[in-house]
Amino acid sequence: MHRILIVSDDPFLRDMVRFALGGLDAEVRSVSEACEIRRVSRSVLFDVVIVLTVSPFACCDCFDRRRNGLRRPVVYVVAWQHSEQTVLSLLENGADQYMTFPVNLQRLRGKVADELNRLVP
Amino acid sequence: MTRIVMLYCAFAACVVVLLSGAVVVRRLVDGRRHRRDALLSRQYLHIVILSLMSETDTVPHFPRLESAGARMVLAETLARLVSSTYGLDLGPLRRIFRDAGLQPFLLRCARRTRGCRRARYLSLLSRLPADAAVAAAVERYGSDRHRAVRFYALMVRLAADPSMALQLIGAYPDPLSAFELSEIVSMLRRGVLPVAYEPLIESPNRNLRSLGIAIVRQFGIEEAEENLLRIASEDTTGELGREALYALCALRRPMARREVVRRMGLMSRAERRALLRCMALEGYSETAFGSPVGDEETPYFESFVLSYKRCLVC
Repeated sequence: MHRILIVSDDPFLRDMVRFALGGLDAEVRSVSEACEIRRVSRSVLFDVVIVLTVSPFACCDCFDRRRNGLRRPVVYVVAWQHSEQTVLSLLENGADQYMTFPVNLQRLRGKVADELNRLVP
Repeated sequence: MTRIVMLYCAFAACVVVLLSGAVVVRRLVDGRRHRRDALLSRQYLHIVILSLMSETDTVPHFPRLESAGARMVLAETLARLVSSTYGLDLGPLRRIFRDAGLQPFLLRCARRTRGCRRARYLSLLSRLPADAAVAAAVERYGSDRHRAVRFYALMVRLAADPSMALQLIGAYPDPLSAFELSEIVSMLRRGVLPVAYEPLIESPNRNLRSLGIAIVRQFGIEEAEENLLRIASEDTTGELGREALYALCALRRPMARREVVRRMGLMSRAERRALLRCMALEGYSETAFGSPVGDEETPYFESFVLSYKRCLVC
């Protein structure tokens, strides 16, 4: 089974994305702070990480290194910032996909589903 | 005398104990209510998203909807969901809005309150799928004494009939503030209003022009550079000229233009420095202007560009 991690300091957004991803063949976990990512990802290898936060740079930093040669999760960042500089910096800092709020839930679900299908060996 | 003092002290102690007890009870009740609202909001969000994702036309059942405050929790949950997303299926949302009785509830709340509270209820209404009846019901708030009420009445009418956006914004009596413009632009980002900056930026109406500049700035429309330069040279004293310069700065267009330098020369010292701070933040170099912008401002700008404070100035 695939594993998805949702990171957000806003419980409403966390629940919103979590419920929107319901029905996918994946275990969805959520954390509220960037520092919790390290703790959770020590024991579990996630396939997709969705960062919904005001300061996404703090989260991207957690996935910049490959751990013991293991596969790095696909990092989606969904944030309110939409300036070109911010988006480029995030992509350089390890984010694989960037989406701005307001977000289309069906589109996000479709992208995550595609990503999980691609990971099937 | 001693007895009177003792009685007074005993009475004061009783009052203090009673008041402290009341505060504690109030906090407990508030905490319990807050926890219940958070739980209900989560439950309602789950039900709404399941309803939106399913293909059926059935209206979902919301538990405890008749309990005190539950309808407001549902309205806030729906409003928050709608403002964080776009492209939601309006059919199920309209059905929920209608069957849960949110429309009469919010209109009743707006009618019974005034000032900021009324504006809050109208703000919720503007995020929910409204129809012509709601727009007609809030029309009377367009002349309310409170500015926020007038503005959110406009937002409800915009949400109800986006095709009338230009007429409604053009007829709005107050000059739109930066916050109000950002509210309209966020509605536009959700796909409620059509994006067409040209008729707006060319309009003689101040509010429409201001909205046009906000759209150009928000969506980074570089083709609008000539329009912005024209506004900067035409509007020599008003806010529109200043907004045009900020939009040019956000688009990172060359600032060593005759129109820009002339408009900056007409600004007050504080306004000029604010623009220079914004330029430093956007990453302009110290030679962004062909000629010095002023004896005092040039070293001020250079000091920001060259210092680590650049990321803190705005």
